Amino acid sequence: MRKKLLTALLSATLIVASLTGCGNKGNDSADTTEKANQTEAASQTETEAPAELENVKLTVWGSEEDQSMLQTMIEGFKEAYADKAVFDISLGVESESTAKDTVLTDIESAADVFAFADDQLNELVSAGALQPISINTDAVIEACGGAESGSVQAATADGTLYAYPMTADNGYFMFYNKEYFSETDVQSFDKMMEVAANAGKKVTMKMDDGWYLYSFFKGAGLNLGLAEDGVNNVCDWNATDGKYSGVDVTEALLNIAKNPGFVSLADEAFVTGVQDGSIIAGVNGTWNATVAKETWGENYAATKLPTYTLAGDQVQMSSFAGYKLIGVNAYSDNAGYAMLLGEWLTNYDNQVLRFETRGLGPANVEAAASESVQSDPAIAALAQQSQYATVQRVGGNYWSPAETFGAIIVAGNEKGTDLQKLVDNMVEGIVAPIQ
Amino acid sequence: MNKLNSIIRHAFLTFLAIIWLIPIIWLVCTSLSGYPGINISKFFPDTWTLNNYKLLLWDVDTVSQFPRWFMNTLTIAIFSCMISSSFVLMVSYAMSCMRFNMRKPLMNLMVILNLFPGFLSMIAVYFILKSFNLTNSHIGLILIYSGSSGLGYLVAKGFFDTVPVPLREAAKLEGASEAKVFLKIVLPLSRPIIVYTVISSFLAPWMDFIFAKIILNSGISSDWTVSIGLYSMLEKTLINSYFARFCAGGVLISIPISILFIIMQKFYVEGITGGSVKG
Repeated sequence: MRKKLLTALLSATLIVASLTGCGNKGNDSADTTEKANQTEAASQTETEAPAELENVKLTVWGSEEDQSMLQTMIEGFKEAYADKAVFDISLGVESESTAKDTVLTDIESAADVFAFADDQLNELVSAGALQPISINTDAVIEACGGAESGSVQAATADGTLYAYPMTADNGYFMFYNKEYFSETDVQSFDKMMEVAANAGKKVTMKMDDGWYLYSFFKGAGLNLGLAEDGVNNVCDWNATDGKYSGVDVTEALLNIAKNPGFVSLADEAFVTGVQDGSIIAGVNGTWNATVAKETWGENYAATKLPTYTLAGDQVQMSSFAGYKLIGVNAYSDNAGYAMLLGEWLTNYDNQVLRFETRGLGPANVEAAASESVQSDPAIAALAQQSQYATVQRVGGNYWSPAETFGAIIVAGNEKGTDLQKLVDNMVEGIVAPIQ
Repeated sequence: MNKLNSIIRHAFLTFLAIIWLIPIIWLVCTSLSGYPGINISKFFPDTWTLNNYKLLLWDVDTVSQFPRWFMNTLTIAIFSCMISSSFVLMVSYAMSCMRFNMRKPLMNLMVILNLFPGFLSMIAVYFILKSFNLTNSHIGLILIYSGSSGLGYLVAKGFFDTVPVPLREAAKLEGASEAKVFLKIVLPLSRPIIVYTVISSFLAPWMDFIFAKIILNSGISSDWTVSIGLYSMLEKTLINSYFARFCAGGVLISIPISILFIIMQKFYVEGITGGSVKG
């Protein structure tokens, strides 16, 4: 008898649990419509003041080192909109580089407003996690330099603006020690390697990494991008008919890899090399440039990527331009205010503040044009490089084949595989459909 | 000849010990390094300092909140440890000393269930907790760590099997209930296995990363456990200024466990060997 009672109790608990689950789902669909209404309501609040102040609860995710700065910005937002609503804004930590994974784990419980790196935009959009920007869209685009500017492109998918451009400094560039290189030296990769080899030092770049490898192939005019489905890749890096073929690029890469003035290093080794003096120039991002800046002091300088020798010509290296964006959660209960907050966090004043407190390069054109921003070597170098850079739009199947290819190049193609075969293999992996 | 053998054996063991100890020595050395970032060219740092520990323990900033994380982890671990130890011991007692229908099939089923890694059910567990509004709470984590712990009864059951049956029968004849037999007769005779159970159920929540990362997803860094907090210091933008502190955190987190082991070592060995004689 007792056992039966227990069974009954257990199954009752289970049923209740599953019903609670369903109940939540029912509410969600109601939330969505409510949210849409609120979006309109919020845009209306700008023109007419509501009789009674509503309570608005928002959560914001930003990177750990930005926390106190974000708190200042949020206080400013509360003040600016104090006549519209009473805000309860909580701030959480989520690095821009991992935001997508955390958001997509459970979109509903993710923050209303979050910062992320622009290469995650596509997946966030296809998962329906981002709210299209529908308030002051034109003004936002205008402030970032118009629809053609890199930062707006980076925040746009299918012609719709999905996020607010925050910083324009997430790409890579060349930084070097002025003690060894003149400004003309750094125009050409060959010259740099020659100088380094003569001094018994090294120039470095992580060649077995798709992020950096891209710059050589794109510089040669070969293409890599997303297919129309937004998930898979199209890639012609094994082309034989263009001005430069994939094999030409591979040969150029092999020449660089075996040059005594060059070494391919991962980040930790890079930073270590900069400190012990064996590395005197390298391609990397702002996060590691700070170490070089501390170590080299006055001699620290930065510039765009150099040219490299490709089939006898000097070809400018391309790169991935990196931006950090602020997105609004599509499942936000207060999407309207969330958008206003997103806009606030990326407005002119706050982009200037972001540069002043954290040294991050503004995406806002006006803020980026200021003298203090222009005089920052890293940000100036990224701006110089931006004309050769493209927005990072690649599917997940790009990285491993590119890494394998890069590793073979770095090892000097020891097995002597036919170069066309090498690029063919890589392209086959890159364009392989994601199951 | 015997002497030569022994020398070779000891040389081999020393060699293995060195291999095993190198990472730990490196961790300790790096945690004492004067340079805050990562430097892989040297095994021993150029300058030695205790500053990283000082910063970690007393200089709390938005990135590093070690004391807070440590307390969170300790609270979670202690509660999970208490709940799951009692689960394990009670299940083991029932399986070892009581006789009821379906005992054997149930035991087999539990062992099989326990063979599946816990994180296979992670997504389901997450959504169940979410429907009860228990995500982002330490209670939710404690429930996860202690929930299925009874399945790991096997070693303790083996130990209880070695407690002589006449003892229990005598107690029963005197009118003791099962609870009394368990608490007054069997448990006092089973100190080694209690120690073993307590240590192993303390370790799981203390070292867990995966579940904590999934459940504590609101980004409120003051709620984090040590493992998530330390992991977050390895961000590419942070690693150059926090790596030494990360290592210091790694050393500190191992101290409570080491102390626990040293104190309970004697019982621990008895517990495992005693429990595995009869399975």
